[in-house]
Amino acid sequence: MVSIEYVQLEELIVRIREISGFDFSGYARPSLLRRAGRYLAKYDMDLDMLLAHIEPGGRIVYELIQELTVNYSEMFRDPDYFKRVQTEVFGYLESYPALRFWVAGCASGEEAFSMAILLKEANLLGRSLIYATDLSNKVLTSAREGVFTLGSTRTFSENYILAGGKQSLSDYYHVAYNKAIIAPELRKNIVFSLHDLTGDGVFNEFQFISCRNVMIYFTLELRQRVFKLLYESLSMLGYLCLGKRETLRYSGLESHFKVIDSSLNIYQKIK
Amino acid sequence: MNGIADKSLSLVLIGGSSGSFVIFEDILKLLRSPISFALIFVLHRGKSSLSVLPDLFKSKTDVFMSEPHHLDTIEPNSVYFAVPDYHLLIGNDYRFYFDVSQPDFFSRPSINATFISAAQSGIPVKAAMLFSGSSPDGAAGMQMLAEMGVPTYVQNPDFAEFPRMPQEALLKNQNHKLLPKTNFYKTISDILYSIN
Repeated sequence: MVSIEYVQLEELIVRIREISGFDFSGYARPSLLRRAGRYLAKYDMDLDMLLAHIEPGGRIVYELIQELTVNYSEMFRDPDYFKRVQTEVFGYLESYPALRFWVAGCASGEEAFSMAILLKEANLLGRSLIYATDLSNKVLTSAREGVFTLGSTRTFSENYILAGGKQSLSDYYHVAYNKAIIAPELRKNIVFSLHDLTGDGVFNEFQFISCRNVMIYFTLELRQRVFKLLYESLSMLGYLCLGKRETLRYSGLESHFKVIDSSLNIYQKIK
Repeated sequence: MNGIADKSLSLVLIGGSSGSFVIFEDILKLLRSPISFALIFVLHRGKSSLSVLPDLFKSKTDVFMSEPHHLDTIEPNSVYFAVPDYHLLIGNDYRFYFDVSQPDFFSRPSINATFISAAQSGIPVKAAMLFSGSSPDGAAGMQMLAEMGVPTYVQNPDFAEFPRMPQEALLKNQNHKLLPKTNFYKTISDILYSIN
């Protein structure tokens, strides 16, 4: 079993920054340690070998960044959350002539597609624009293609039904070459674009932001900064949704939000 | 919850999968407050599992139990359970960290993830135990802990409901001590109370 230590991890962080400009210094160390260890194990390398092999513009450094940041997700992850969003949030959003959603840290687009489907079923998709952002160009490319393995659609479909989906998930994709391809009509209201929560600023104002299982990548300090960015990107009475096991705790902004659902982590900006 | 880290903290780690739920329950019955360490249970659970283990087990022990949140500090005299769908990592700052990287052997939480992070955290691990399960998860973590000199115990595969988990751990490292069939809970109790 290859493993690296906290001290060595700092060395790796510095090296990645020198070579790629990507700064992991605000990332939670325990998670980075696990991911770096897995990367080394996958290629049967030790840290010295890795440090010797990463070079500016090289493939390895980008692969490594990818491995260290990837969020393994699925469509309609936490179906009860999506159910609650439909009953609790959509009613409020109906009063707006134009709606802007932000899926921050969208990975391969699973969450953005899930939202688009539910908005369509609520007759809201036509006036909605979903900005789905991630810091990785690679996952964004895959998100834009909207292609998933057929195997994964089984879980997605089960989740979709549990989330209160009104049709069949297969109405929203077609199958080609043994892959599931998300319907173009869903994709046209989604803008996938590059955005790094840790460095980039506010780029629009949203009625709804979902940033699920993203904050857990960051250290306490960076987390507070990112929370501030999300807060400033929300319109008054807009909704902020976090991962099922995340909380606003330790964010410094607890008093600015009303808790809509404490177990599913849905919050509304009130001041 | 967000207190100053208690630097006297030590850990006991317990992992299992299929066939381990009942064992966890019986281990909890052995515990009486105060215990000097934090006991961390990692049980493979389906991601849609809605049961809240501290509620389910509340009649079994008077020790504080929790399914910790990301960034909660780890406290002695507490029992913690890994929640479904996140890896539960032990940070060197005496806090819990969640991680959403890929499942290990189809499992999130993974026993390896917690055990390895504990080994790397610098927090003393007083004992680690691995019980019944049909997955090879846990073997790598147990090996790392054993190599550091942590006392490691596995259920005797011959008597485990699902032998694969302890078997895989023994394949990687034969130095894990076998928990016997007779006096099973007495042995576990003696281990825990010798630490206490």
